Amino acid sequence: MSAAALLHVVVSGLATGSIYALMALSLVIVYNATRTLNFAQGEMLMVSTFAAWSAQRAFALPLLLACAVAVVTGALLALVLERLVIRRAIGATHWDVLIITLGLSLALQAGAGLVWTHDQFPFPSFFDNRPIALGPARLAPASLGIIGASLVIMAALAALFRWTRLGRAMRAVAQNQRAARLMGISVERVYAAAWVLAAIVGAIAGVLVAPVIFLSSKMGLIVVNAFTAAVLGGFGSMPGAVLGGMLLGVIENLAPFYLPSGIRYSVPFLVLIAILVVRPAGLLGRLEQRKV
Amino acid sequence: MGGALVLLGALLAAWPWLAPRYFVFLASLVLINAVVAIGLNLLSGYTNQLSFGHAGFLAIGAYTAALLTIHAPALPVIVTLVLAGSLTAVVGLAFGVPCLRLSGLYLAMATLAFGFVIAETLLSLEPLTHGADGLRVPAARLGGVTLATDTGRYYLVAVVAALLTAAAVNLARTRTGRALLAIRESEIAAQASGVSVARYKTIAFGLSAFYTGVAGGLFAFVVGFLSPDAFDVFLSVDFVVMIIVGGLGSVPGSVAGAAVVTVLHDGLASFQSYRPLIFGVLLVVCMLFMPGGLTSAVRALARR
Repeated sequence: MSAAALLHVVVSGLATGSIYALMALSLVIVYNATRTLNFAQGEMLMVSTFAAWSAQRAFALPLLLACAVAVVTGALLALVLERLVIRRAIGATHWDVLIITLGLSLALQAGAGLVWTHDQFPFPSFFDNRPIALGPARLAPASLGIIGASLVIMAALAALFRWTRLGRAMRAVAQNQRAARLMGISVERVYAAAWVLAAIVGAIAGVLVAPVIFLSSKMGLIVVNAFTAAVLGGFGSMPGAVLGGMLLGVIENLAPFYLPSGIRYSVPFLVLIAILVVRPAGLLGRLEQRKV
Repeated sequence: MGGALVLLGALLAAWPWLAPRYFVFLASLVLINAVVAIGLNLLSGYTNQLSFGHAGFLAIGAYTAALLTIHAPALPVIVTLVLAGSLTAVVGLAFGVPCLRLSGLYLAMATLAFGFVIAETLLSLEPLTHGADGLRVPAARLGGVTLATDTGRYYLVAVVAALLTAAAVNLARTRTGRALLAIRESEIAAQASGVSVARYKTIAFGLSAFYTGVAGGLFAFVVGFLSPDAFDVFLSVDFVVMIIVGGLGSVPGSVAGAAVVTVLHDGLASFQSYRPLIFGVLLVVCMLFMPGGLTSAVRALARR
């Protein structure tokens, strides 16, 4: 493969990876605050993207406003689910909550199918179709746009966690919930904030990815790739989620060019298993120390 | 307790005469899923190793049994099932040993990845598995008898499931079983008391894969047709649902969970596109009002 073609594949891999990274960040934000793996994160992304699409078609909104609709829908959905369901299971084991989020994901997917059918729909893109020439390489504006937008969101998240009161509270709860509560942090409010924040990040990821993979009730399955990415980077680590997402995206895009069709789709998973065998807590993760 | 067991045994034996033909088939599926759930519970419930890859183990058992029956038709079905279970156990050990260092979500992800890899491998091993076209499984043979009816297959499943269930219940009385129970209560305490946690976690992986492999063999005979997409990640997730809804670390809980989930899936089939919606809402309601699953709910009722 020529260097130009390679660059093209790597860049589109990074674009896919950015989406995985955003979704992985959503999972990690919820996990760090509540120690819950939210199976329904992908379906929440799907529902908010569908809401944006409906609003855009009904009122002929500009795309940026449609994106805002997605964000608001995602945030409201997260708030309602957290209040009505997750909050009630606060004393339950992680296993029970896992099944609850799984149930939510099934219900949301089926519900979306009833409202919007299970067909695929094209989704308008922010970006132009014409490739940008960079020397001999031709890069898709969509890829560059997705990468750029994702980097902006990641930077915003990093700033939020570092410099705001809410971010500090979320980090404190992630470190030690009881100590955080004793310091006067409302852990319940942090739970709700984590769900809403994760849903907002997911909604933006949904609007970014929908033009590429089409809008459908099955697009929530992207949560499996996001989970893979988060584990690859080290579950709980936010830089890890970004690294894992990018790595996974590039591997997925490069593998078909070098490998026979029989193992093409297995490669990301084989890489994952190999990395976990060497580093049981992912690339940047740390094993939690347990006390007796 | 003894009386209840006799009653249950009698019901199992008489079922094909009591129920219409379709429900005989459904009962076979329930029992097969119960075997998988028991196997998964040995791993997840006792040694706290969550697996999202048991559909992969089921597939290995199923394809092994199917290929053995096609290429060595003289083998009695019991030998076929034991071979299917053993091969799956070997794969389970080969996969489980490197995974010993993993726990929690990392293990869940590794097993999920295992499931994907197995499904794609089955698709690409076309000369053997016929890939996406699927594989027709000939009827099982036991001595001179061909088990070609739903009733015949049901009895095969019932006997094997009863044996494996009894073995799992009695496991608690063996050294291995006590070690697994100790690990279930507290891994660190077990290790401090001299239980080799790594060793018993490996044994649990092998045992779990064996159970699932045998169940896979039974599945091949009962369904009669195998295709790789039947063993997708949703099936693995279903197995996890069974043991959590039933109750972690409990054999009767595994059976109850398998029965509830299998019958629900089947019963809701007529609701078509509403099915996942109802199933999902049921899961949420069930876990909200019955934390710890059916086993905890029954225990709480008994205590009253």
